[in-house]
Amino acid sequence: MPEHAAPLLRPPRHRVDPRARQWWTVQALLTLSGPMLLTAVVMAVLSLLFFPGALPWLGPLLLVVLVLPAVGYLVVMPRWRYAVHAWELGGRAVYAAGGWFWQKRRIAPLSRVQTVDTVRGPLQRRYGLATVTVTTASTAGDIKIAGLSDADAEELSRRIGEAAQDVPGDAA
Amino acid sequence: MSTPHEHETPAVARDIPGTAPVAPADPAGTGEWRRLDPRTLLVHCGWLAAPLGSLALTALATGGRITARAWITLAAVAASFAVVTTIGLIRWARTEFRIARRPDGAGAPGQGRAALTLDVRSGLLTRRLRSVPLQRIRTVDLTASPLHRLLGVTVLRAGTAGSGDGRSELSLEALAVPEAERLRAELLAYADAASAENDPVLARVRWRWLRYAPLTFWVVGGVFVVAGSVYRVLDGIGIEPWKLGFVQQAFSEFGASALWLTIPAALLAVLALGSVGAVALYVENWWNYCLEWTDARTLRVRRGLFTTRSVTIERARLRGVLLREPLLLRAGGGALVRAVAGGLGNREENRKRSGLLPPAPRTEALRVAGGVLRAPFPGSGAPVALAAHPRVALRRRRVRGLLWAVLPGTAVLAGLGAAFTPVLLHCAWIYAALATALVLWLARDAYRSLGHGIQGPYLVARSGTFSRDTLALQREAVAAWTFSTSPFTRRAGLVTLTAAVAAGEDGYRIPDLAAAEAPAFAAAAAPGILEEFLLRPGAPESPGHLPEQRLP
Repeated sequence: MPEHAAPLLRPPRHRVDPRARQWWTVQALLTLSGPMLLTAVVMAVLSLLFFPGALPWLGPLLLVVLVLPAVGYLVVMPRWRYAVHAWELGGRAVYAAGGWFWQKRRIAPLSRVQTVDTVRGPLQRRYGLATVTVTTASTAGDIKIAGLSDADAEELSRRIGEAAQDVPGDAA
Repeated sequence: MSTPHEHETPAVARDIPGTAPVAPADPAGTGEWRRLDPRTLLVHCGWLAAPLGSLALTALATGGRITARAWITLAAVAASFAVVTTIGLIRWARTEFRIARRPDGAGAPGQGRAALTLDVRSGLLTRRLRSVPLQRIRTVDLTASPLHRLLGVTVLRAGTAGSGDGRSELSLEALAVPEAERLRAELLAYADAASAENDPVLARVRWRWLRYAPLTFWVVGGVFVVAGSVYRVLDGIGIEPWKLGFVQQAFSEFGASALWLTIPAALLAVLALGSVGAVALYVENWWNYCLEWTDARTLRVRRGLFTTRSVTIERARLRGVLLREPLLLRAGGGALVRAVAGGLGNREENRKRSGLLPPAPRTEALRVAGGVLRAPFPGSGAPVALAAHPRVALRRRRVRGLLWAVLPGTAVLAGLGAAFTPVLLHCAWIYAALATALVLWLARDAYRSLGHGIQGPYLVARSGTFSRDTLALQREAVAAWTFSTSPFTRRAGLVTLTAAVAAGEDGYRIPDLAAAEAPAFAAAAAPGILEEFLLRPGAPESPGHLPEQRLP
């Protein structure tokens, strides 16, 4: 087969809700970036108060080890994620793309769908978002679509439920 | 050559209409008796090496003056030599074998081909004829000791499924290597054609497989684990082993003598201990092992000495077979077989219960895997035609090995060397050179292992170097596809494909496929999953940038 004829896997059609970017930013602040920045500030203040002589080498060290990675993660991750995350409900299968540095595209046929869960965390509720998880009989086949708007999530889970009933199969 | 008729053995016919594709047409000139190779006689002289060698050494040491005692020894050796040679000669002269039709000449019922047997007759006074139907033959081993190899001969053993105890095993000692290989091909051609389904018993334990037991990581690791737990127990009841008198004494004595001796001796001790442990574990785990189809739909594994285990796998839940060849075991020509089946419990339970065959010869593993699938396992007949992965995967493996194994060790050693002592600098470059060579070799091996393909109803994928795993997975069992990438693989144009299955380890990875070919392969292997998301390059429809689209 000539190489140019090989089909490519296109990205899913729908992006997640734009508010997901803010959600991911806050999440990054709470889990990783925030604690790192806090540590850096506390160490800098302590050093300023008690060991002023250590600042010349501690300052750059904190900057490189804690501050820059924290800020970089905070700035880059949500944008990158938003560019990658996408989903699509096809006629016979669900398709989702996720991740940022390590990316995943997963396709599961509707005939294998076992349950559809919609989860709204406290932070997600604040932004009107939801995560839809489609489970199959294999843990390596579960599809998770994070950052959908409430309305989309509801509609999607309803549609997947209907479609899964229409498509014959025992889901095993 | 005293046995010229050997060379007239007809080749295995492969194109007879109406028969199985690999049935021998008219094997072995319709039952002409064949002889063993005369070089076998020389093999029997092999045991002479030790006494003669020691005699020669004595002569050397005493400057050629051989005492009366030595002459007596020599006479005894000569006498035994005469006896052994005579026995060997008689055995050689009186042992014959052939592939023959059954005496009644009738075919097996329901199969339109003649029943063939392998006959071996032997014995001087008591003539003994043993005959085994070829369909019953499950394994044909060729084994050669170094002496055999020197003489270009090999021992052929033909075993039936029930011959775990060696009673119904036929052994021909010895045949010229080409002759042995031809005979093996003849025997197996028929055995394969008859296939395993006539015989519900797929395998029983053979204690000759014990030689594969020490070829596992646990030989070394296990000793440390045991030592660690013993130490913990002693520590727990308040005994500090280092303070015991005899331990301290032994330590100081060993420490005082040369390290050259102590370290290799300690290593040898660990290896010996580990091997004994591995053998014991093998025996405990696989005592009375039997793998069989109890009926058409149920596969059963029974095994165990103190803890007896019996695992039953329903055929409908059996989704595939995994052939595992860990590095050491592979070097020894061995492999083990695991089932990819649903309903065996969680990951840990699955690992314990999915074993179908202990470490055993590779041919045996392939045969058992085929018997479980009820179809030839890929690689058991002709070498598998698996599609190779792009060469950039090789580069990735090299870079990964150099980055994670060579660089840190060298940097640490060099840093310490620069700071403290130049001896470590030498250690650094020696480590770098050795580790680089090893990494390059392993990377090459890992790359060669990579392969994927489709064989009938099975998806075949192979990968790994520390444990080379060949997976044959039912294509219809694939429940979802995952394409994973990182920035590095995206730049290299690679993608890792994971097949989700509701069985075994749930996800089976096919690492580092060409990104351009992976979707087509996934679509071909398991149709009906991702076709609607495929895009032919050059087709008019192109999504371009993703619109921020809501559900209509």
